[in-house]
Amino acid sequence: MTDTLSASPSPPGDGEAESLHSALPLETQTDEDFPALSAESSYSAPDIGAADTSAMAEKSSVCSPEDLAPSAREGEAPSISPDLWNDLPEIPNDEELQRLRELLFQRELAIIQRLKDSLNDPRQNAKRVSEVVAEALLLRGDDNRLNTALEPAVNAILKTSLNRHQSDFVGVLFPLMGPSIRKSIAETFRSMLEGFSKSLEMSFSWKGLRWRLEALRTGKPFSEIVLLHTLAYRVEQLFFIHSETGLVLSHLTNGGVGTQDADMVSAMLTAIQDFVRDCFASGSEGELESLHLGDFTIIIEKYSKAYLACVLRGTPPSDFREGLRATLETMLIEFAEPLESFSGDTAPFTGAARHLEPFLITRYQDEGQKLPWWGKALPLLAVLVLAGGIGTFSYHARELRQQQAAHMSFMQAGLDFLRKEPGLTLTHVSQAANGPWEVMLLKDDLAKAPGDVLQAQGFQPDAFLVETIPYISYDPSIVARRVKNAIDLPPTVTMHFSQGMLTFTGTAPLAWIAGAKETARTLPGVKQVDMSGVKDPLLDRITAMIKSIESADIEFPLGKAIPVATDISKLAAAVDTLVELEKLVSGIGFTLSLTIYGHADATGLETRNYEISQDRTRTVAAMLYARGSSIPIAMYGMGSQYPKGEKPNGQAASAPKEDQASRRIELRVHIARPATSGVDIFTR
Amino acid sequence: MFNAVQLCRCTMINKKICMLGAFSVGKTSLVAQYVHSVFSDKYLSTVGVKISKKTIAVDDGQEVTLVLWDMEGRDIFTNVNVSYLRGAMGFFVVADGTRAETLDTALELRSLVLDQVGAVPNALLVNKADLADQWEITESRLNQASAEGIAVFRTSAKTGQSVEEAFRALAEAMLKAGRNV
Repeated sequence: MTDTLSASPSPPGDGEAESLHSALPLETQTDEDFPALSAESSYSAPDIGAADTSAMAEKSSVCSPEDLAPSAREGEAPSISPDLWNDLPEIPNDEELQRLRELLFQRELAIIQRLKDSLNDPRQNAKRVSEVVAEALLLRGDDNRLNTALEPAVNAILKTSLNRHQSDFVGVLFPLMGPSIRKSIAETFRSMLEGFSKSLEMSFSWKGLRWRLEALRTGKPFSEIVLLHTLAYRVEQLFFIHSETGLVLSHLTNGGVGTQDADMVSAMLTAIQDFVRDCFASGSEGELESLHLGDFTIIIEKYSKAYLACVLRGTPPSDFREGLRATLETMLIEFAEPLESFSGDTAPFTGAARHLEPFLITRYQDEGQKLPWWGKALPLLAVLVLAGGIGTFSYHARELRQQQAAHMSFMQAGLDFLRKEPGLTLTHVSQAANGPWEVMLLKDDLAKAPGDVLQAQGFQPDAFLVETIPYISYDPSIVARRVKNAIDLPPTVTMHFSQGMLTFTGTAPLAWIAGAKETARTLPGVKQVDMSGVKDPLLDRITAMIKSIESADIEFPLGKAIPVATDISKLAAAVDTLVELEKLVSGIGFTLSLTIYGHADATGLETRNYEISQDRTRTVAAMLYARGSSIPIAMYGMGSQYPKGEKPNGQAASAPKEDQASRRIELRVHIARPATSGVDIFTR
Repeated sequence: MFNAVQLCRCTMINKKICMLGAFSVGKTSLVAQYVHSVFSDKYLSTVGVKISKKTIAVDDGQEVTLVLWDMEGRDIFTNVNVSYLRGAMGFFVVADGTRAETLDTALELRSLVLDQVGAVPNALLVNKADLADQWEITESRLNQASAEGIAVFRTSAKTGQSVEEAFRALAEAMLKAGRNV
């Protein structure tokens, strides 16, 4: 049965089908009852016929003539309203007639079936709708009903899409919105902090009180009053310019401001306005109202005849422009005639300066606040948050800075304090326009911090941006400080430093004297150390003891190693003193040592003399050790080489002679610091 | 000291003049050595105009400041930014003697400006007089222009020939016109 269709020879063209239709009595009914079909058939029927042949062939045998019976069709076409079929006139259930219909309309029935199938096929429907959906939407134009109908769906789609592809949206939106959001946040934050810090500061000054009164009086918020009074700006130049020619009628500058040529600047300014209008706002009524460049703003207040251009730094109060406009209006009235007939002569406009002068305002904030705003605002915030309260602020310094000139000399004075401070050497000072002062300093470790120096003189510690480089200063007061740090000066000693010479006077323990002398010598800036003025009270006693020991006169009988009876007690006393001295000296960290020289007289054999002189030294050593001393002792038997007594009657020195004074011992005491063993600190 | 006001503008006659011409006829170099200029040439290519200034003393001792709007060279003059012409009290059109077509442009520009700003004093500067032997613009054409009432100056940016003279003539003409207002 499929064969009957697919094999049917060359399906008739459109025209053939038409003519076939029109020849049949059923035709009129069909057309009327399937208006949609007939309307479509005019252009899509051949399409369906061609496209569907294959589609139908793929399908199972849906197209048999039997299938086209109304009952079968109803079962097959659930999506077409049964009403359509119900409305059709009853066809007599005559078998003959039925057969005739099948014979006569086989092709037509097949075509109708195909149409029906294609209508019921969702794929076909989608295809057809897709072909016209754009045009259809366009046809609807700005029909609100369409929007209303689509809105929920679009919303749902957007929501789903946003949820599923968040990162895609972020990726697209961030570059667009990021910068403006950032800017907006920064701006908000900045103004908040600024206003906040201002309010805080103002609430503690008499100014603040006055402004609070003003706020009460005028009914404006306090913050607005604060802003109004604290905004810093400076009008640098004012141009009164003839609109049409761009020629300057009057030009005023705030003293000290370097200017370009006013004629050319005003011409350029006029050209730029033309340029902007022509390029970006052609035909619009507006005017370029302001130009911004960093801290600079050029405010333009324009009328057709003339305009004012005001070049200023900082942020003017909100009513600034209004004031400018009012003045311009006044001037336009006053100079109406010369403006009208202006031909380049500026003489009639001399009076304009009088109107403009009041605008050359310089309003200074306290300089301390003008320097980086965050530097002030953040600490303030921190103080509030952390301490929950506000400390006291010093306004003494700030009040000195009412004027720029005063400020200038004030800052110079600050620099002078830094210059004078020992251990600080100013190498470089610079100030960017309106910026902080930058100072480069060489700083000795022992010098005061620059901030402390400034603070001590009533400056803000951070009045300057200071960079320091470490160095070693030979400034006398710094050297003195260095010495004091290094040697721990006792209160009984005074120090004097002058021209590299360090002089100490007073009393101090020996250990300190010796140690300080050594340390001081090594310090940078110290050339010489004089310790002779420092005495140890012990020293006198020690010196006296040594003297008593060394001067002990102990003589021996001829040929004996035991002193003469009268000198035995002298020797005992000397040994006692030595033992005492040993204790004393070791108590202050020194060591004692002893040299004993033994002597003999010239009688007898010299070898015997050496022996006896040596024996005599041993006697002393034995006595010392018997007392528990541990003094290192060097013992020398000198024989008779060093007779003591005078040579009586001018006899030859060589003449052997019994001489008790020569039979003796001599004691020599040495005191030294262990660390510097061998260096005898007693310079005798 | 800081609020001291400086009154910069003394009474003086200021005139706005424009200078127009085809590309590379030497407009800018024509005035380069005669004017006081603070703006770099980049303005010419960006904003389309370069502002210069020249102060000259005319015969009766009156000083006149000429604020010169040197406009970007154009071959299709309809693109000339007419905004910049507003308020011009006089103008120069410049041609290059060695290129005949620049004279046409100059004359077209002249009519355009006259249309825009009215009958203000003006002059035609035919530049590159130092290359007289290479001139394409003939004497007869210039004579014809003169006959039509156009002030013609044969100038040289290189030697300075007639430049000062042209400026002075324009200044005097403008002063005269100004007095007649």
